[in-house]
Amino acid sequence: MPNAFTFDMLTNYLMIGAALMALGMLGFLTRRNLIVMFLCAEMMLQGTALTLTAFGRYHGNWTGQVFTIVILTVAACEASIALALILILFNRKSSLDVSLWQEIRETGTPAYAEVPADAAPADEVEGPETYPHLTPAGLEPAHPSTPWIERRD
Amino acid sequence: MDTIAANDLLKAILVIVSGAIGTYLLLPHRLGLLKPLIAQRIGAGLVAIAILAFALLWRAPGEWIAGGFFYLFAITALAGAILTITSRSPVYSALWFASVILSTSGLFLLCGAQFLAAGTVIVYAGAIVVTFLFVIMLAQIEKQAVYDRSARNPARATFTSYLLLWSLIYALLAIQSSATSDEPHILEKRLVRGERMISFHGLPVDSRQGAVAVKAYPPTGRLPSTDARSELGLHVAGLGGTLFTDHLVSVELAGSLLFVALVGALAIASPKPPIRPGAVSAADPGTA
Repeated sequence: MPNAFTFDMLTNYLMIGAALMALGMLGFLTRRNLIVMFLCAEMMLQGTALTLTAFGRYHGNWTGQVFTIVILTVAACEASIALALILILFNRKSSLDVSLWQEIRETGTPAYAEVPADAAPADEVEGPETYPHLTPAGLEPAHPSTPWIERRD
Repeated sequence: MDTIAANDLLKAILVIVSGAIGTYLLLPHRLGLLKPLIAQRIGAGLVAIAILAFALLWRAPGEWIAGGFFYLFAITALAGAILTITSRSPVYSALWFASVILSTSGLFLLCGAQFLAAGTVIVYAGAIVVTFLFVIMLAQIEKQAVYDRSARNPARATFTSYLLLWSLIYALLAIQSSATSDEPHILEKRLVRGERMISFHGLPVDSRQGAVAVKAYPPTGRLPSTDARSELGLHVAGLGGTLFTDHLVSVELAGSLLFVALVGALAIASPKPPIRPGAVSAADPGTA
């Protein structure tokens, strides 16, 4: 008995998944609004989920759908954390622009040039910072807060 | 060496080139300037041509009603994706993303994942409503912010993304071109379906490898056959069966992950007064 889900149909689903993935990546790279970037990341996850489900159907097992359910869970967690982060980032700068946060970019990377004129730099705070020395993963932003030891109590 | 039919190659090139140019014309300007209306119209036309050429690349999606719905959902998903990433207002982006989600769950339904279609709609409907609240709460203060009207490096990002799409389409077409002939492609023969896995590799069931192969492909992990109405034909029951027998650890892990994310989101977003230098001793002089 030939399987109803042919190889051609698998290829169709894989193409749509690939297109959703590429378009989500395009949006994530170009847009500057934090909320739109979050939506584009979700769109990339949708493309991957479509690919996994089609592969599971082709192979005739549940694994693709189980994997997609796990992806759905991770997407829900990501949504909660991302929206909480967007909230506090908005509270800091009163703006959803991601370019305002480029001071925490990788060390040695040139700054993105077209920053609007109202992008004020973070104010510097004098005094020692007692952070542990870690491998530098980016420029450390200015902290308008007390060192972490004094924050304990 | 794989050879792609010149017809397919031409259509793929059309998809990539006109899609890339059209998307670039539709994206916001690099410096936030207004793009002329004619550029937007040309961009919309090029994207429409690209989506139609992409639809011509798909092959034989089943009988006519399933095929019609497949084309409907797929084209809606792609058009919605383009409009999500090119809308100037985040409200419209969220709305178009909702159309992407709805048509993707339609595609889930078409490839036999009913529970997943319902779950996607439920989960993402909540996510989109919350996103709407955020947009209304945060982004509606000024009418159209400068960061919504400008894009970061649109030309280079478009080139990169469409290069990725081109490589993926090319790889898929290289497999598909030989699959349409009588002799199945070598890669398609490698891509063994589950029920033929054990017999394909020629593993004897009594050997150690055969026992592993049988264990890796349990009867609870198989999709129900669509023709026979057996007790495995119940969709959600089968999915629950494989979730709570074969993937029990994954389910527990997912639950723990949800709990951790709940705690993390509360810890991040709970309203605390900002800690300033000297505020601790000023607020509580007894312990300082």
